[in-house]
Amino acid sequence: MPPGVEYYCPCLSSTPHPPPSSLASSLYSFHPLHSLFFCEECDAVRCNRCVMVEVSGYYCPNCLFEVPSASVRAEKNRCARNCFMCPNCQNTLTVVASDPPDNGETRTSPIVLSAVGEPPFFLYCNHCRWDSAEVDMTFEKPTGLAAQLQKFEDSAPEALEFERLKEHFEPFLPAASSALARDIPGVVKYNPLTRSRSGRDRAAAKSEIPDYRARVEAGSSHGLASGSGGEVDVDFMKHLETAGEVASLEQRWVNSWTTSLHANDLKPLRIPLHSKKSKRCPSCRHILIKPEQKAQSVRFKIKLVAANYLPAITVSLPHARAAMEMIKRSSALNKSTSTAVAEEHAAAASGAMIAGKTYPFHLAFTNPLYDPIQVRLHVQRTLTPSSADGKQKAPFAVTLPSSAFPIAAFAEAWEYEDDEDMFGDEGDYDGARGTKDRDGRARPRTVGVLERRANVTVVGGEVVLGKEARGNIKFNMLVTYTYRSDDPEPENDDPTATPSKRGTQDKQPQMKTFSFYTVVELGNIIRREESKVDMDP
Amino acid sequence: MAPIRDKFTIHSKAIVCQDVELKGDITIGAGTIVHPKATIFAIAGPIVIGTGCIIEEGAIIVNRRKEVMRIGDDNLFEIGCRVESPTVGNFNTISTRARVHHTVRISSYCVIGAGCLVVPTEDEILDEYTVIYGPAGERRTWSGRGKVQEADLRKKHADYLKDMLPKFNRLRRGDGT
Repeated sequence: MPPGVEYYCPCLSSTPHPPPSSLASSLYSFHPLHSLFFCEECDAVRCNRCVMVEVSGYYCPNCLFEVPSASVRAEKNRCARNCFMCPNCQNTLTVVASDPPDNGETRTSPIVLSAVGEPPFFLYCNHCRWDSAEVDMTFEKPTGLAAQLQKFEDSAPEALEFERLKEHFEPFLPAASSALARDIPGVVKYNPLTRSRSGRDRAAAKSEIPDYRARVEAGSSHGLASGSGGEVDVDFMKHLETAGEVASLEQRWVNSWTTSLHANDLKPLRIPLHSKKSKRCPSCRHILIKPEQKAQSVRFKIKLVAANYLPAITVSLPHARAAMEMIKRSSALNKSTSTAVAEEHAAAASGAMIAGKTYPFHLAFTNPLYDPIQVRLHVQRTLTPSSADGKQKAPFAVTLPSSAFPIAAFAEAWEYEDDEDMFGDEGDYDGARGTKDRDGRARPRTVGVLERRANVTVVGGEVVLGKEARGNIKFNMLVTYTYRSDDPEPENDDPTATPSKRGTQDKQPQMKTFSFYTVVELGNIIRREESKVDMDP
Repeated sequence: MAPIRDKFTIHSKAIVCQDVELKGDITIGAGTIVHPKATIFAIAGPIVIGTGCIIEEGAIIVNRRKEVMRIGDDNLFEIGCRVESPTVGNFNTISTRARVHHTVRISSYCVIGAGCLVVPTEDEILDEYTVIYGPAGERRTWSGRGKVQEADLRKKHADYLKDMLPKFNRLRRGDGT
C-alpha cells in the first residue's frame, strides 16, 4: 500500500471524532481530497456518501447529444440516434459500407471507392472487428439507423409480449399512477374513483383481474426460453466446444430481459445514456456541484470542492525515495524492459519499514487559500486492545511538530519576482528552531518545518516502530488551521452610525479556525527476520 | 560473439529517415516507410521487410534468432510496438505498444490490438484474420469484411507519408556498409 493521506468526512454523525484506523470498517469514512466537497454555509466537509444527488441532464456519451427528460423515458434510457454498442467488447460501432465488388485486378491498380460507399451498410467495431453482418443486420442507408431498426425491434417477440402485458393491466391500475401519488403514499385512499365503490366491491374488484394468457407459452422451444434455463439451454451447454460460444455475463446483463446464451446471437445495443448530476449539501441544501448544461463541457457552474478550502497533504518517506532512485539507476544500466514488474516489487519492498527502527517521514502541506494560514497537528491517540498479558502496547509512536507553523498564501506563478521566492531558500531550514540545534542538544532535525516555498510547507515527523510491530502504519491526525476570513461581522442596526463607521467595522479581519481529521498511512511493517530481502530485480 | 556487421539494402523507393537505429543485415523493400526513432535490430540473423510497410516511431523490430526474419507487405507497425516474431505476413496491423514474442508466427490480415501482449510459452501460428483485443488479449476471428477498404486506406496512408515525411525529416540514403 503506497503511503498516502485521506480525509475524514463525519457524514452528519453525532461525534466529530473518526473511528480508530486500525478497524477495517473505518476505511469507508476516509476519502481522498479530490473526492470531497465543502459547504460554506455549514462550514463542513461533505463526501459522496452524504451528499444529495439530483440528475441535471441526460446525454449520450457517443454523440454528446443532450436528451430532454421526456424523451429519456420514451427511448428507454438509450440514445435514439445512430449510436450502437458492440456486444462483444462494448465499444462504439461505426457505420461502414461494404467492400466494392472484387474486379480481380485489385492489387495492381489503385482501388477506386466512391465517397459514400456501397450498400448494404453495416455496423462495425474497430476494436474487436465484430460486424453486424454476423447477426444479419444490414442497412440500406447509412443514416437514420434508428428508424430502420425500429421495425425490427417492435416486432421482436419480447416487445410484443410487453405491449400485451401493458394493455392487460391498464384498466386495473388506479388513477394513482399520477405523480402526486408517488410523492405522498396515502393519497390512493382518497381517490374519488375508489371511494365510490363499497368495501365489498373493492375486494371483488381485485379478484376480477382475469388471468393473463401469454402469446407464446413460456418454456417453449421457440427460442424465447433461451437464457432462462430451459431444455434448449441445457442441450446447448452439453454440446459446447469452446467457452467462447457462450455469451459472457458482461455481454448479457445490459439487456432488459434474458436473452439467448449463444455468443453468435448477441445483437448490437443502443448506447445507454449517461446523466449529469448536481450535488447538494444534505443539511442546508446549498448546491455544491452544478455542471454546465452542455454535454461536451466538463466544467462546472458551481464547484465547491474541498481542495479549494482545505490544505492538501501528501506524505513521503525519504528512505523509500532514495531506494527507488538507486533501483532506477541500476536498472537504467541494465536497460532491460521486462523487469518493470520486478522493479515495482523491489521498490515496494525497499519502502517497507523494518520493525524496531525509527523512520522519518515528510508531510507536505499546500495552502489553497489566498491568505496565509497557521496549521497545528495532533495525533489522535488510539486505544489498542490490550494484549493477553494485560499490557497495552502501542505498535508504533509518532512524533509530529507540536507548535503551529505557517503556510504562505497561494499566488499565481507570475506573481513571484524571481525563482528564488517560489522555490524557497534552501539554506533557511528550520528558522528559529535551528538555534536550538546549535546549542548542541540532541534534538532531531527531522521533526519540524523542513522547507517552505511558495504555498507549500514541508514538515518532518518521525515514527518509532516497536519491536513486535506488524501490519500497516496508520494513524489519525487532527489538522487545525486558522485563517483570516473576509466575511465582515454582521453590522449593527444602528441608524445613527455613519457610513464611515460601518466601513471601519467591515475591515476588521476575523480569525477563523477550521479543523478536520485525516488518516496518514505510511506503509507496511516487515519483521526483522524478513528484512534480508535480496534486491536483485 | 561475432561483431554485428551492418549491411543495409534499402530500395530506392523506400523512405527511411535518418534518425532510425539500424543494426545488422537488413533489407527494406520498395514503398516501405520507416519513421524517425524506429529501431530495427538484426542482432543474430537478418531481417527482410517487404513492400509498402509502415513502421512508426518507437517501434522495435528485433531478430535474435539466426534464421531470417521475414516481414511481408503492407503491414502497419504502430507506435511503441515490439515485434520479435520470425514470420509476419501481409496486411497485418500491430497496434500501439503491443508486444509479439518470438514464439508466435503471424500470418496475414491479423490485428494485434493496442497494448496486447502476445507472449505464449510455446510456438504458435496465428491464423489468418485473427484479432487480438482487450486487456486480457481475447481473440476472435475477423470475417474479413471491409478488408478492401482497409487495404485502400493503408495505401493512401503510405502515399501521404511518402509525400510529407521527406519534407520534414532527413532521409538515410543507400547502403550503410
